[in-house]
Amino acid sequence: MAPSVNEPPARNWADDDDDVELDAANEATLGLPETVTVEQPDGTRVTTLWKINDDGKKVKVVRTTRMRLIKSQVNHAVAERKNNWKKFGEVAGIGAGPDSNSTSFAEKVFLKLSSTVKDHDAPPVEEEGDSLKKALAAAAKSKISCRICQGDHWTSKCPFKDTHTPLGDLGAAEVKDSGSDAGAPAGAGLGAGGKYVPPSLRNRGPGEAMPGTGSSDRRDDFPTLRITNLSEDANDQDVKDLVSRFGHTSRVFVSRDRETNVCKGFAFVSFYQKDDAQRALEKLDGFGYDSLILHVEWAKSNRD
Amino acid sequence: MRPILLHGHTRSLTKVKYNRDGDLLFTVSKDAKPNVWFAHNGERLGSYDGHNGAVWDLDVSYDSKRLLTASADNTCRLWGVESGKELFRWNTRTAVRQVAFAQGDRMALYVTDATMGQPSTIWVVAIEEDLENQSDEFERKIIINGPKATVASWGDLNKTIYTGHEDGTITIWDAETGEKIKSVKSHDSVISDMQWAPDYGYFITASKDHTAKIFDAKTLRVMKTYTTQRPVNSAALSPIRPHIALGGGQEAMEVTQIGGAKQGKFETRFFHLPFEEEIGRVKGHFGPINTLAFAPDGRSFASGAEDGFVRIHYFDDDYFEFNYEEESLTA
Repeated sequence: MAPSVNEPPARNWADDDDDVELDAANEATLGLPETVTVEQPDGTRVTTLWKINDDGKKVKVVRTTRMRLIKSQVNHAVAERKNNWKKFGEVAGIGAGPDSNSTSFAEKVFLKLSSTVKDHDAPPVEEEGDSLKKALAAAAKSKISCRICQGDHWTSKCPFKDTHTPLGDLGAAEVKDSGSDAGAPAGAGLGAGGKYVPPSLRNRGPGEAMPGTGSSDRRDDFPTLRITNLSEDANDQDVKDLVSRFGHTSRVFVSRDRETNVCKGFAFVSFYQKDDAQRALEKLDGFGYDSLILHVEWAKSNRD
Repeated sequence: MRPILLHGHTRSLTKVKYNRDGDLLFTVSKDAKPNVWFAHNGERLGSYDGHNGAVWDLDVSYDSKRLLTASADNTCRLWGVESGKELFRWNTRTAVRQVAFAQGDRMALYVTDATMGQPSTIWVVAIEEDLENQSDEFERKIIINGPKATVASWGDLNKTIYTGHEDGTITIWDAETGEKIKSVKSHDSVISDMQWAPDYGYFITASKDHTAKIFDAKTLRVMKTYTTQRPVNSAALSPIRPHIALGGGQEAMEVTQIGGAKQGKFETRFFHLPFEEEIGRVKGHFGPINTLAFAPDGRSFASGAEDGFVRIHYFDDDYFEFNYEEESLTA
């Protein structure tokens, strides 16, 4: 059917209704206005058409169309190659267009040009000016909690991902242990987590520390734990996250190598409450963290 | 930018080169099958069948009608770019490492390797318009005594031939007489690449001594030096901006960190040409980058690496607007 003047110019077959005659009849009976095409002075065509949509509502569709012819000058030889050259060799006979076997798009890469590039291998410096970003990040953080260590990061980003036993579960195991036969040796040989405790350290209440830790360092008169066998990747925040769930800490010190800034493998944590420290000691000693088993003990102060 | 990834080679890339018009990209690798691709979308146009060994180098004529390839199967071959057919073959005694059309495409040079008792040699041959008359006799032969030539190219107006050697020396030879004109040792290790500026006033060299240098063509004076921490395998000059691109990388056995599955960690580094400072990097390859080429219009570049992939990168708009503060000061 040749389109008449009143029909919209570029008619998409997908928009066509199946039964054109029915619609024409509908239009007549329902009293919808006719479609109108107006040529604007700037060359665009505006088509207004009315129809009833599926909800039975009267819908007015206004289509603005502009036709533009783009001419570009192309090197004659280039055009010749692009249009006329046939494929040969291994790809002879393959149709036009890139073959997905040999051509694909890679992941996005960024080339950020900067005159102040110093050392790309160092970790990126935070931009102080991005307070809005920081505020957003802080807001997001408070809602996220990891299932494994209850830190404010996603579970999949947890530093203790490879441990398989979320710290919460250790507590559950503890409860189970005391109820079963293993409960008997609990006081004798096994510690709270089912771990062996040497006799000298058994039966300590929260009030008793290891002998010799009475006078602590003046800097922290608080119960201090020493965590050793920390992995190199541990940074202050990681250790803080690790211990903060046991209680407030007054000081977290992670030892670093001065030049490389890598963790030397041990850290000191000072809690405000003695029993927080005790619980931390019990839970974290032997805890697998980043493929190393942590060793936690009371910190020995007044070393010679 | 999203690079176009071309995986038409099964072994590591040795050379990528655009034709003069910039619409075709030729790639050769150790897998003996040169390929040609449309640069705008990465569509493979064809492959050249015939070599029996690694192809080390290629050059394409100005009109994009003929292709020369240098291979380890002791041949240097001339191909019809459109047909994919081999048009001529020069047989040699040792592997051919470099090949280059002279300006005007009436002559070509190729360099044979120094193995099996043969010295490193530059062969100059004539290329006939009508291949009926093509002979495999050489016009000139320049024997290199001493460290072998690893890169070779024609100087301005074919008066001279420039070579880079495996000890870091750069030599200028008279193309007519074969005499050595000048020789300078500025690099400490083998020269892996040499690319000319469009006006032939200077060229950039890449060396395994972790640096790339820009030499003045006449005096061989070192104009600029770019230092990295890794052997530089290839260096390219941007045709439209004062940038250079360097590609290199550690030997595969020194790599201790496994990169992410989707994207490798080997990078092309961009330096500011006059200021000699690094200005950016483009990651992506899974192996050391062996060859780099800017498109003639400077709006894209291609890199080929040990991993067998070629990546064509079209720069984003901000690449063209980048300027140092000093550069944007108006006089």
